[in-house]
Amino acid sequence: METFLAILTVFTQPELLALVGIGTFAGIYIGAIPGLSVTMAVSILISFTFSWDVYPAISLMVGIYMGGVYGGSRTAILLNIPGAPSAIATAMDGYPMAQRGEAGQAIGVTTVMSFFGGLIGILVLALAAPFVSEFALTFQPRDYMLLAVLGILLVGSLSSGSMVKGIFAGALGIAIGAVGRDPLTFTERFTFDFQIMEGGISFIAVMIGMFGVSEALIQLQNVGMKAVRQKIDKIVPSFSTIKTYLPLSLQTSTIGVIIGALPGTGGDIAALMAYDHAKRVTKNPKIPFGKGAMEGLVAPETANNAAVGGAFIPMMTLGIPGDAMTAIMIGALFIHGLNPGPMLMIDQPDMFWFIIGALFTANIFMLIFGLTGIKIFTKIVEMPRSVIIPLILLLSIVGAYAVNNSITDVYWMLGFGVFGYFMRHYGYPLGPVILGVILSRLLDDNWRRAIISEREDLGRFFHGVFTSPLSCVLFVAVILIFVSQTPLWTAINKRVFAKTS
Amino acid sequence: MDPEFRGDIDHHDGTSDATPGGYREKRRPGELAFALFLTLASLFLLYSAYGISGFGALSAPGAIPMATTLVMAVSAGIVALRTARLQRVTTETLSKDILPVTVIVFIGFLIVFGLALQPLGFVLTAALFLIVAIKVLAKRGWGYTLAVSLGSLVVIWIVFRVVFTVLLPAGILPEAEFIQFFRTLISKGAF
Repeated sequence: METFLAILTVFTQPELLALVGIGTFAGIYIGAIPGLSVTMAVSILISFTFSWDVYPAISLMVGIYMGGVYGGSRTAILLNIPGAPSAIATAMDGYPMAQRGEAGQAIGVTTVMSFFGGLIGILVLALAAPFVSEFALTFQPRDYMLLAVLGILLVGSLSSGSMVKGIFAGALGIAIGAVGRDPLTFTERFTFDFQIMEGGISFIAVMIGMFGVSEALIQLQNVGMKAVRQKIDKIVPSFSTIKTYLPLSLQTSTIGVIIGALPGTGGDIAALMAYDHAKRVTKNPKIPFGKGAMEGLVAPETANNAAVGGAFIPMMTLGIPGDAMTAIMIGALFIHGLNPGPMLMIDQPDMFWFIIGALFTANIFMLIFGLTGIKIFTKIVEMPRSVIIPLILLLSIVGAYAVNNSITDVYWMLGFGVFGYFMRHYGYPLGPVILGVILSRLLDDNWRRAIISEREDLGRFFHGVFTSPLSCVLFVAVILIFVSQTPLWTAINKRVFAKTS
Repeated sequence: MDPEFRGDIDHHDGTSDATPGGYREKRRPGELAFALFLTLASLFLLYSAYGISGFGALSAPGAIPMATTLVMAVSAGIVALRTARLQRVTTETLSKDILPVTVIVFIGFLIVFGLALQPLGFVLTAALFLIVAIKVLAKRGWGYTLAVSLGSLVVIWIVFRVVFTVLLPAGILPEAEFIQFFRTLISKGAF
């Protein structure tokens, strides 16, 4: 009963309901305006909602997250520019549909299917999270350490671009997180005897720099680009269309939740895998894949929204983010004094159920806003970049300043902004950096706890790893991912394939 | 479709998180220098991490920093070696595609913004920044520039001060008195 009341908190307080609504609305448009990303929006918003109570702040951010994952599909369909990483697969068949003049239908089906996928993700989260967190209580420090390494490695290897660059980015993140005085022994780390470095680098400054400033600087090169006007007609899809794709959407939602729930993998990978799955199971598509097949739209869109619920499972129960976006959400929870992990479910179950309620509400708002307001939508998307870019930069500066009222944070943000700008140009992924920053403390603490409890003996440590089934699985997974990227693996693979063929 | 596909406007610039920049088979201008810089910086950080507690104990405060900076140095080294072996992209130049003048100018604007924020106050600095930035980017008349920049500044100011209650440096403008003036005006109107 209490659980039920906690889920309904959103509905009993009009203010929270409105915030979820505003957040979802904003998320859809932010995700849809080329040049604005949801990761950027949420990282800037963290600092603005800093002084708020935790419930309203979470309501707004959950709304933006949910809306943004969906909103990214709009530009993917209309302009062939995915507005969010999770919409990459959507562009493959969505854009050809728009070229044929079926943009309205594509958007309509996407909306309903995103809603459906989102719903399944939230249901699985509500059902699975309590069990996972109970299980997580039995985790040893070394398991947490291995999970953190696994998460960073997965983000590094699966995000587009080269694995080595991903590993570098993850390690860089951990190092950034270690700057300042060590919380256990108070030793200075990477401070270079500067007093301002003793407190460490504000992770908000890193986030806003990497996702706000660097992106705005990149967009400066596209400033002269004309916004494309799109004609969109009827978008509410017919019931029979929905019914046809229901079985497929159930399968791809399942893929979405599972992929989302793995630490280190988020909506983008879920969407690509679901697309692949749809291609394999659809024997005779009406229109071939890549040319505007409806299946190619349904699969990634259900999967990436289902992955939202999935990604909240490791985030809420273990404190381990699935991708850059959940890493930022964890940062937001930290700032409001919450500590995501197995204890959250025990100490503050209301908070967990409240988030479930907020996600559910955001999903409904997404359906409503997605199917209406198409006229305003086309207007907003046409906003000129020459105005948007200065505004993003202004908001980034204010955001970085607002958390600690410190001008030093503004300079950190600028520094990371320029650094992130080059990283983007040269194909280094930014997600692992943020994951590293967020997980740095967890990794460090748990490694030291684990090794101290084994009396500083590596032999005993590995004995512990290999005698516990969980640690053993995690350890093998880490090693496998690592080895799979080395030339050795490629050589073995070639040999095996040569034999079979 | 290749997951590395970057849309039609191919600037290979990592536009939005969805589309990482860089080429797989070629080296962009400045890419090798960046990789070498990262390698050297990582080596320096590794040295600095060694200075935290040396090889004292596995649980020492320097253990994880040393491990991570070692990983950084090795991976950056591998990236540098791989990049060095690639062919250069012939169609791009550093000043056109990687670091155009506009970007340098804007980085300069931001540094000045940071310097002026506390002495001048948020409202004045932001107004100046928006006017100059929009004028430079939009290349339209002063009427448009002033209307758009000041209009959006008013919206931003109201949203931050009222909705988000963010404290921003007041600087030389009597901002508090201004707010107070409006408060009294509103309360007088109410009675």
